[in-house]
Parts: sequence; structure tokens; C-alpha cells
Amino acid sequence: MTTDTRVILICSGKGGVGKTTLTANLGISLARQGFKTAVLDADFGLRNLDLLLGLENRIVYTAQEVLEEECRLDQALVKHKQESNLSLLPAGNPRMLDWLKPDDMKCIVNMLSEQFNYVLIDCPAGVEDGFKNAMAASQEAIVVTNPEVSAVRDADRVIGLLNTNAIKPVQLVLNRVRPKMMASQEMLSITDVTDILALPLLGLVLEDEQVIVSTNRGEPLTLNSVNSPAAKCYLNIAKRLQGEDIPLIDPVEESAGFGAKFRKLMQTKIF
Amino acid sequence: MISKPKIIIVNLSDTEYKNWKSFLKNELKNIQSYHLAIDLGDLDLNCKFISEIIDISNMYDCEINSFYSTSVKTMVSCHSLGYTANFIRKKSLNNTQIPNNNSDFSKTHFHQGTVRSGEYIDSPGDLLILGDVNPGAVVRAEGDVIIWGRLLGIAHAGSKGNSKAKVSAIQLRPVQLRIANKVARGPQEKPQPSLVEEAKIDSGKIVITPLENF
Repeated sequence: MTTDTRVILICSGKGGVGKTTLTANLGISLARQGFKTAVLDADFGLRNLDLLLGLENRIVYTAQEVLEEECRLDQALVKHKQESNLSLLPAGNPRMLDWLKPDDMKCIVNMLSEQFNYVLIDCPAGVEDGFKNAMAASQEAIVVTNPEVSAVRDADRVIGLLNTNAIKPVQLVLNRVRPKMMASQEMLSITDVTDILALPLLGLVLEDEQVIVSTNRGEPLTLNSVNSPAAKCYLNIAKRLQGEDIPLIDPVEESAGFGAKFRKLMQTKIF
Repeated sequence: MISKPKIIIVNLSDTEYKNWKSFLKNELKNIQSYHLAIDLGDLDLNCKFISEIIDISNMYDCEINSFYSTSVKTMVSCHSLGYTANFIRKKSLNNTQIPNNNSDFSKTHFHQGTVRSGEYIDSPGDLLILGDVNPGAVVRAEGDVIIWGRLLGIAHAGSKGNSKAKVSAIQLRPVQLRIANKVARGPQEKPQPSLVEEAKIDSGKIVITPLENF
């Protein structure tokens, strides 16, 4: 098997926390930095990674046809319009719900590893077969969670399962952080979450309305709008994934606004 | 080239309790290695005792790498002082032999690491956990449950009806506590930081008290 390809599972347990959005944006960011990146939509029952990337109308074949040798792998891979380093492979057809086995998934990922630097697997919600298939093929994992009790609980369950399957390293992304709510302690704080999950934090993603706009347009945030706060967060996560040391943003400071920042600056100069 | 430091196991468990200091000093005089592993056998030792051992070793310029013990209390004491403690199930240990976990089966169960949501641990004897028990996890033992970490999930001590069983943790904030056939909800108020607490049955009710002589 090949070697320095990183196969990363992006999972959460709970649905709707931002796995697919993270996969799409991370894929674009990594491709931008010159890495050949494949995103594999393992959520074939309810696939929508293609929607986020704006590639829905270009899908002809899926991994299923590749495995049945009805087409070649490069026929099934959908290249992104603007980022030629990024390719999408949908795992299967929504109509065929139970054809995939862990071994099939491994086979697909091995094929992808020969061509790509990064393989990002967008995992379905839940901890059933879809998750187990996706997990079987992965080496490392990113767990996405929101600062909510239910999302943290599900993430904890998933981390337990990842640990028993010897997937290492497992890193954490805290999505949809609202600095104001965190500052006023209406929301779980970062330490609340990291205390329970006991994982290294790969990054925070701030709540951003632009995410919804970009999802509906089929253009991931990292593609164009570099000024959006969430896009910056995604770019930082992509950089940290390669071992760059970029400090985490402090949500309390983010919420403080210009006046408070200015006062703080004044104080640091005086004392 | 410097060879890798050898680890020597000093066995304290067979010595008479009162003479242990001179015994340890004698052993250390004869030792060439500076890295020690100390076997404490089945002695129940508190932090004070362990730190005395550490002080004596430091006097002889020896560094303790790890402790071995069959006692749950000793394990917790060693960990609280920041040392690795290895749980062994064999009663006696030769000076040179590497501890073998597969010998004599002991009923005490030992778990290291976080117990996460959805996980379940059951022990036919006591249960010692070095790590947190997260919400959604269930830990159960026929004897006591001791958690060197936070208890945020469900703990059940005395699962076969032993009403003398206890649950103790550094932060006792369970969703639910069960001892023998009694069930209680966890306390609602925030606990004081760094206070070891213990839950047991007192006149038919589960009560939580601070644990002092730990």
C-alpha cells in the first residue's frame, strides 16, 4: 500500500453539526495549497457533498460502478471546476442502501491513495453501518462537534469507537462557536468541551451566516470570500493539519468589539 | 556509548513493616542502576508513605520510574504523586522477574483512560478507574468503585447487593448513583474543586461525604 497519503475521516455522531461543510472547505483549502485532494462522500444514503461543491450535475458514475468494474476510477472522479487539485468521489447511489461493506470501502480508499495526497472521507451521521464502513478505511480522524450538550455527548461516543478501532490521531474541531454567547456563559465554553472529550483541538469555527449562503450557491466559503470569519477558521485548520503552529482565536476577545480591544491595547502599553 | 539504564525492582512487600526504611536504604546501596521500579506488594499505602520512599530514593540519587502494587489504594496514592503505578495480580514477585499479568486472577478490575459515552465496564470485584467517567458511560462493580478523575456518568457499586460498597471520585458529579439496590440522582449544585468525595449508604439513603484520609 502507498505511504504518505493521509486518509482522514470527518465524523461527528450527531447530524447537522457541519461535517460536510468542513469536508468541502478543508478539501478546497488543501487543494489551494497544492495538495492533490480527494473528498469521498461516504454518506451515500443522503449524499450532499456534491451540492456543497456545486458538482451535482457532473456526477455520472460512483464508487459503486468502479468496484463493479463498469467504469475506471478516473471516470468516476469529478474534478472541481475552479480547483483542479480537488476531486470528488461519491460513494454510491442513494437508491442502493446496503451494498457497501467495510472491505469495499478499503478497496476504494486504496485506489484513491495511489493518486492523492489527502483523502477526506465525509462520514454519515450515526454510529451504524455507514460509520463503520467509513471508519474501516481511515487512518486518522477529525471529530466535529458544536458547543451543545447533545453534540458533545455523541462526539464522545464516536471518539470511544474510534479509540477501540485504533484510529490515531483523533483531533477535534469545534464548529458554530458564538463568541458572544460563550462570553456570557450561555453556551458551553471551549474548556467545557475539551474537558469532556479530552482531545487536542484542531480548530474553532465561528458561526457565520455566509456558510448558509455558500451552501445554497454550491461554492464553499474558502473558494472566494476570504474575509468571512468562518473561511479564515477553515484555512487555519487546513494549515494546522500540516503541522503549522497557528494560535487559536480567542472567542472572548472576538466578542469584545473594537472599543474593548482598543482599551486592552492601551492598558498593555501602560503596564 | 551509554547503555540503556537498567530497571531494578525493589521488593518492599515481604519486609517487615517497621524495618522498611533500613531495608530500602540497604537495597539502594547495593544497586548500580539509577532507575528503579518498586514493588509494593499488597500493602495499602497512603501518599505520605509513598513520598517517604521517594525521598529516600532521592537521597541515593535514584530515580523511581514506576511502582507495582496489587492494592488499589496504593495505586491511587502513587498516581496522585504523579508516578506511574502498574497494577499486578500476582501476590509475590521475584526481584528480577517482570510482572506477569496473566497469572493469578484477581477480582479487582483496573481501567486506565477516559470511559466515554456508551461504554460500559463491569467488574466482579472492586473497580479502579484512572481517568474520567463521562456522561453517558456506565461503570459497575460488585465491590467499590474508585475513580481517580471525574465521575459524570452513572456508577453502580455493590451491584450484587453489597450495601457496604462505596463510590469515590475526585469530582463526584454523577448523572445517577446506585449502591446495591438504592438509586439516587446526582447532586445539582457544583461541587467544591479538588475535594475527593465518597458516596455510601447511610441509614437507608445514599449520602456523599468528603473523604479526608486519602
